[in-house]
Amino acid sequence: MTRYVLGRLGSVVLILLAVCLFTYLIFFKLSPDPAVMICGKTCTPDRINSIRDVLGLNQPILTQFWEFLRGIFAGRQYGSVHCPAPCLGYSFQTNESVWSMITARLPVSITVAVGAAVLWLLAGVIGGLVSAVKQGTWWDRTAMALALGGVSIPNYVLALLLQYVLVVKLQVLPFPSAVPFADNPVLWFESYLMPWVVLAVGYACLYARLTRSNVIDTLSENYFRTARAKGLSGSLIMRRHALRPALTPITTIFGMDFAGLLGGALITETVFGLNGIGKMAADSIAKNDQPVIMAVTLLAAFFVVIGNVVVDLLYTALDPRVRVVSS
Amino acid sequence: MSDLFIVDDLTVTFPTSRGPVEVVKNLSFTVGRDDTLGIVGESGSGKSMTALAVLGLLPRGAQTSGSVRLDGTELLGKSERDLRAVRGNAISMVFQDPLSSLNPYYTVGLQISEMYQTHQGGSRRAAKQVAIEALERVGIPDPERRVDHYPHQFSGGQRQRVMIAMALCCSPSLLIADEPTTALDVTVQAQILELLAELQSTTGTGMIFITHDLAVISSIAQRVLVMREGDPVEYGTAEQVFSDPQHEYTRMLLDAVPRIDDEVPA
Repeated sequence: MTRYVLGRLGSVVLILLAVCLFTYLIFFKLSPDPAVMICGKTCTPDRINSIRDVLGLNQPILTQFWEFLRGIFAGRQYGSVHCPAPCLGYSFQTNESVWSMITARLPVSITVAVGAAVLWLLAGVIGGLVSAVKQGTWWDRTAMALALGGVSIPNYVLALLLQYVLVVKLQVLPFPSAVPFADNPVLWFESYLMPWVVLAVGYACLYARLTRSNVIDTLSENYFRTARAKGLSGSLIMRRHALRPALTPITTIFGMDFAGLLGGALITETVFGLNGIGKMAADSIAKNDQPVIMAVTLLAAFFVVIGNVVVDLLYTALDPRVRVVSS
Repeated sequence: MSDLFIVDDLTVTFPTSRGPVEVVKNLSFTVGRDDTLGIVGESGSGKSMTALAVLGLLPRGAQTSGSVRLDGTELLGKSERDLRAVRGNAISMVFQDPLSSLNPYYTVGLQISEMYQTHQGGSRRAAKQVAIEALERVGIPDPERRVDHYPHQFSGGQRQRVMIAMALCCSPSLLIADEPTTALDVTVQAQILELLAELQSTTGTGMIFITHDLAVISSIAQRVLVMREGDPVEYGTAEQVFSDPQHEYTRMLLDAVPRIDDEVPA
């Protein structure tokens, strides 16, 4: 087991290195010259050249990549500007190190992701479970029709609709803003409620459909029939012999979805004006602020890779068949 | 031999888009204590449906009529709650494919002890001890260690032994074995049959043995019921059915069994 864990962690390092390299190549070789972007309107060739010198763009690509990697662990100097470790680059448009931009915004994205995840897991799994147990009834049909509708509504449409109804018309919720929890827990909750719901609806509908089909599959398994033939109580049969097998595959999907969201909910954060990683990504794309775009891409990749490993390890705990093979 | 289990005029009907279909028709048989009834027939003859009907485990929508009595108590029409007290406790079942019939997520110990605890109560520790003893009784070596193993860590024959251990842990009056040897290879089949016969002789459990294999039936059953498309075709002692079959279909089934002295076709 320890060997398996160490092996997985080793592969994480390699994957992250490969992601770093590819991201670096894409952003610094295939996109417009960052020196020109920084130089602005009153630009001269000399100025471009001196910016290229400061950014190290005149050096060979591998040296540049090495400098970038070294910066992550040891910090980096851009002319007179110092970027302390971990340096993921420096935004000359905002005059901030990208790392400090990320750390300022990450709590907002985490709050959005965690809140939404709790909502969609609860609604999706419970809804799907009830539908499976009441298969073919009006509840099942209604819930699944709603789920299909929910999956089909784009995030931004739902966000604008909710804002119009709940904030503008009924005025039951404030306009979302990144209120810290410690300042005002009630306002914090009210501010994040709409982003959570908007983000959760699509996932909840998807998870409801997944849970329903997984549970229905499990109910037709031979071991479920055995559990009934053993005379076990209904709740024990459902809990032990239907839910656990049905929900185990959902952890995989959940791990990936949640990890993806930690890298920023681009549309939701932008529509609600929440200053998270997603909005920062959208803003930096609009301004072509390459160090930020690259760092956000790396961060998203980092979360997805780590999410994958966590799911793999969790799976070995949840499914004994995987445990034996892995050890 | 007193009759432990009496099935009288059992009919199982499924609703379909083309009207109700009877999958078991007017079936009657009895099983005595210490007695083994073999139910034989091709796939789709209604053998397994009969077993599931007895325990109220038929798929949703199925309807049953007739009478099923265990020790004089009528089982058909009992509430789900009452039937739960019978399942696994008074009547146990062993299914065909032991790998898919055991839950892959739990140790065999837990799967045996949860059943024991449901019916007999007691602590988790006591139930685990029962599981260890049950495994020992069916010949699983090193049961103290194996009780914490998962189904996929056992061989096919051992898994079926686990299923039998589980089925017998509450000392049921009747054991229904639904094709318990079909998924196993021939040598393991023989071991399982031997085990069932041995356990039956020590526990006095009545047994219904469902199979499509006449050779298996002949070695284990005292009475035989032949079924075809839901109809009971022939019912009698094993000797009668095998030596003097009355029905054309039974003769056909017997002729289909390959014999060692058969001539090899040219």
